[in-house]
Formats: sequence, structure tokens, C-alpha cells
Amino acid sequence: MTTLEGLLYGLTVALQPDILIYCVLGVVMGTFIGVLPGIGAMAAISLLLPITYYITPEAALIMLGGVYYGAQYGGAVASILLRLPGTPQSAVTSLDGYPMARQGRAGVALFASMVASFCGSIIGIVVLVLLAGFLSRAATSFGAADYAAMMVLGLVAASTIGAKRPSKAFAMVVLGLILGCVGTDVNSGVARLTFGRTELLDGINLVALAMGLFGVAELIGNITSAERKGSPPHVSLRQLLPTRDDLRRMPGPIARGGALGSFFGALPGTGSTISSFLSYAMERRISRRPERFGEGAVEGVAGPEAANNSAAISAFVPTLTLGIPGDPIMALMLGALVIHGVQPGPLMLEARPEMFWGLVVSFGIGNLLLLILNLPLIGIWVSMLRIPFRWLYPAIIVFVCLGVYSVRGSGFDIAAVAVIGALGYLLALAQFNPALLLLGFVLGPLIETNLRRAMLISRGDPVVFLERPISAVFVVATLALIGSSLWGAWRRFRSGPAA
Amino acid sequence: MRRDWHDIWGGAAMAAIGAAVAFYAMGQYEFGTLRRMGPGFFPTVLGALLAGLGLMIALPAWRRSGEARPFAAHEALAVLAAIALFGLGLQRLGLMPTTAVAVLVASLPAPRRGWRWRVMLAVAIAALTWLVFKEGLQMTMPVWPRLGT
Repeated sequence: MTTLEGLLYGLTVALQPDILIYCVLGVVMGTFIGVLPGIGAMAAISLLLPITYYITPEAALIMLGGVYYGAQYGGAVASILLRLPGTPQSAVTSLDGYPMARQGRAGVALFASMVASFCGSIIGIVVLVLLAGFLSRAATSFGAADYAAMMVLGLVAASTIGAKRPSKAFAMVVLGLILGCVGTDVNSGVARLTFGRTELLDGINLVALAMGLFGVAELIGNITSAERKGSPPHVSLRQLLPTRDDLRRMPGPIARGGALGSFFGALPGTGSTISSFLSYAMERRISRRPERFGEGAVEGVAGPEAANNSAAISAFVPTLTLGIPGDPIMALMLGALVIHGVQPGPLMLEARPEMFWGLVVSFGIGNLLLLILNLPLIGIWVSMLRIPFRWLYPAIIVFVCLGVYSVRGSGFDIAAVAVIGALGYLLALAQFNPALLLLGFVLGPLIETNLRRAMLISRGDPVVFLERPISAVFVVATLALIGSSLWGAWRRFRSGPAA
Repeated sequence: MRRDWHDIWGGAAMAAIGAAVAFYAMGQYEFGTLRRMGPGFFPTVLGALLAGLGLMIALPAWRRSGEARPFAAHEALAVLAAIALFGLGLQRLGLMPTTAVAVLVASLPAPRRGWRWRVMLAVAIAALTWLVFKEGLQMTMPVWPRLGT
């Protein structure tokens, strides 16, 4: 199937009325949840995951995709108007978005973030289409050793690139890998680390883990702070109109941010958070007047928003073509697909074209809907921010519990959310990144299976990882990343106690 | 100087968890060989790695100053208790009473006094969940406590 045929085919899938309805539903609900302060895309997807059990796999994936970018958009609203970002990537948006709102230019900041998100998504879609076919062909020659080496590279990259303390980041990855070991060992049938609980034989429930680490831990921190933030400014449609100067400043950052995001989104391990930070840093560096950043520069909103949206979409490249999720959100998506009996991987493009092309086209439609719906709906989203947080969070807690319960009707899983939530809050307090824990958790079993298979094939000879050219590249890159971060740590250590 | 206690405790906790997992896995599961890895191989190696990383985090932090971050003890306790109560109660007491109790407990640390709004919120959320999850999504679960049995 050529790209054009594929897109046309995808159009016939995505425009089916029932699929279109779920796309709209996903986008609107995603925005709705994303707007709520302190709740990001991760929590939005886990909250709405249970609903998708009742619909077809295509509709489910398309709806969750809509929830994802809808929530990202909604998160931008909360971080621009109240400086209450739900996720790290929208924290970047608040750096200049919130000062703009304070200057009475909230509407322009929202407009810039909307347009930049849309353009970024389109860039991401183009990259997804171009790379996916190529990668799934290349991936058919991947062996177990290559898969294992690539996933290890992904984990190391996620914990070293852009991390302030690589040792803390890597500790989270390893803790995630350990939690991923819990359950029945596939090769030997031994129950590992279950401590006799039959509920743990299938492993720790992914939804419970995600909800505990993200939904619950974030709520706890926000109960008092969200209440103090005051009420958002009033935004009318007229205020959305940017000045000519704003319009002139936006295309450059959007194009650069979109390109940056689509590159980092497609790499396993790096994703929208790193992309938006890098885009912001880049715009400030190349600006002729960097001192405007942090004081309400429209470039500081447009660049990162384009970057995180294009990364959000190109992140589907490794997820769909290799079956390897690059970030925790993709891990949840992958989990959702597996629940629906669809195994993403190199064969998916051939075997389930309706899934792939339908998704690609629905990304375009969803983002268009987002742009069309949100211009008039902006007033509603802003007024939602006026609902006191004390009314919202108890409801969110109940919805989290029922969402987890709906996965397999287990009260044990709800109690697990409480335990994981406590862990998540302590981790957040000590500034460990729980997203990396989740990434390790999802990739762990995949790495272990492929590693054991590779070692069995090579008769226990680890040299196999260097003999195969593909895995050799990954191994060398991994060692280089570890080496450079160790070197950095050693230099910091030798320079003595820092102030 | 205020030491970086977050990293000291965080690192120490990681080291303890890692060491515990490594020893437990070594004692309980077969380690195997490189060629045929047993079920204990992965947990043991990972536990040892986490223990090492924990030390790498905790030891340098001793020489470093850090800032204190507020610990929202009340909020954490109330939210976690609400979830635990929900988990314990749902199948025994049914959806409506459990939801109401969980909401009341969760709302305890909210920065506004008074009981009336808390009770009204509990009733409203219980009604909403019934509407969405029982009527809308047709989830199977008891709604009210089963009397008698």
C-alpha cells in the first residue's frame, strides 16, 4: 500500500460515523480532564481507559489518541491561566504563558498554543507516515538481541538525556524494572516477588500503577496549592486575536519546535517533556532579545507547544512499528491495545492496516476538531477553572478507584492504588521522576524475554550483542551515554560540595 | 548547613529496597547461568544495581546542602485513606455508601471549614458515579449493602 492509498484508506476508516464520534468524545473529554489543574495526559488516559473496553480496538485507540492530545491542549490552558501545569511539558508553557496572562494577553497566549499545537501535530503526522513504513520494514530483520539492546538504550537515554541527576533517574528505571518482574515468570512458571498474593500472579496492574503514581500523587500535592491560586482572568473571543507582531514571531518557533519534537518523540526513551524543554532553550538562545523570555514572549509559548504536540504524535512511531513504547503514555496505549488483543509490532502495518492508517488520519481530524471546537469553547474551559478544587478532587479520587476496579473487578487493585499513591507521593517529594519508573515497568518484561532468548540462541555468549551490527550500534550508544554521565558526576564530585 | 536529606533518605531507601530484592531473589529463586537464566537472574542483578545506585545518590548528598520541601501529611493521609476505604468497602458495602464515605474522608483536608458542603458533595458525587458507572457503563458491582447474608 502506498502512502497515498494508505491515507485514503485511513480516511474511509476515520470518517465512519461511530469512529468519528469516539474521536470527538476523546478530544473533548481529554481537554476537559486536561484543563483540571494538576492533572495531565497520563491521568486523563488512565481515567478514560476503562470506557474503551466497551468499544472496538480501532475506536479505542483513536479515542485514547484524542484524549492524549486533547489533555495536552487542556493542560496548556491551566498552565497559561493559573500557572498550574498538570505535566512537566506544560510547565514549560507556563514560563511565558503565565506572564502573558498577567499582562492581559491570556487570549493571545491561548491562541498561540492552539495554533502551535495544531501545526506541531501536523508535522508529527508527516514524520509518523514517513518513518513508520521504513521502520517496520527494517524491524523485520531485528533479532532478540537487537530488541533487547534497543530497549536498554531507550531506558538509559531516558534517564541521562536532560536529567538533572542521572543517578536518581536511573534508580527509578531500575525500580520500575524490578516492579516489572513481579508476577509469574514466563519461562519457568515461578511466581516471583508476589509474596503469596494470587492477585499479583499476573503482575502489578498497569492502570493501578499509572493512577497511583500520577493521578493520586499529583492530587495530594495540589489540594492546598490549587485552592490558593485564585481565579483565572476572563477571556473573550475577541481577546484571542493576536497582533501582527505576534503573528510574525510565531512561524519560526513553531517550525523549529515541530521538527525538534518529531525527532525526539520518535526516539525511544525521550519524548514530549524533553522536546518542550529543548525547544524553549533553543528559542531563547537564538532570540536576539533573550531577556524577553520569562516576561511573556510569545515564542516561548509557540515553540514548546509545537514541540510537545509533534513529539506526542511521532512517539507512536516506535510504539506501533516496533511494539516498544517510548514514554509512559505510549506504554499505557500499548497496554490498551494488548487488552484489545492487538499486538503492535513490525507486522501491524501489514496485518492491521485499518488500525494504522485509521489512527494516522484520525490524528489529523482530531487536531482539526480541537482547533475548531476550542476557539468557541474557550470560555467554557476557562470557567471550568473557576470550579473550586475542593469539589473536584474527591470526585477524581472516586473516578480513579472505579476506573481501576473496572479493569478486572478487583478490590485488591484499588488498595494497590493507595499503596502506589503513597510511594508516588514520597518519590515526588524526594524529586524522583515516576515517569521513568513506569517506563522501566513496561519495558522490563520485554527486555527480560528478549535478553533471555538472545542468550539462549548465542549459547550464553554475550559477544552476540557486539557481533550483530544493529545491536552493536545500540550498545555503543548506551555505553557512550553512561560514560558521559559518569564523567559528569565525577567532575561534580571532585569540584567539592556545591553551594 | 542543612544537608540534602531528601536525597540521603531517598538514596538510602533505594539501596535498602535493592538489597532486599537481591537477597530475597537469590534465596528464593534459581539464578541459572548466562545461557539459561533462571527466574532469579533478573531480580538479583537489578536489586544489586538499585542498591549501588542508592548509595551513589545518598553518599554525595551528605556533602551537599539541600532545601526542605513541605510534606503534605494531612492531605496524603486523607487521600490514601479514602482510596483504601473505597477498595475495602466497594464489594462489601456497595457503591453508594462507599463513595459517600470516601468523599467525606478525602475532603477532610480541604481548606474550608464546615460540614454542610462536604455532605452535599458526598451525595452529589455518589449520585454522579451511580449515573456514569452503573447506569451508563453498566459495570457489575453492588450498589447498596446486601442485608442478611
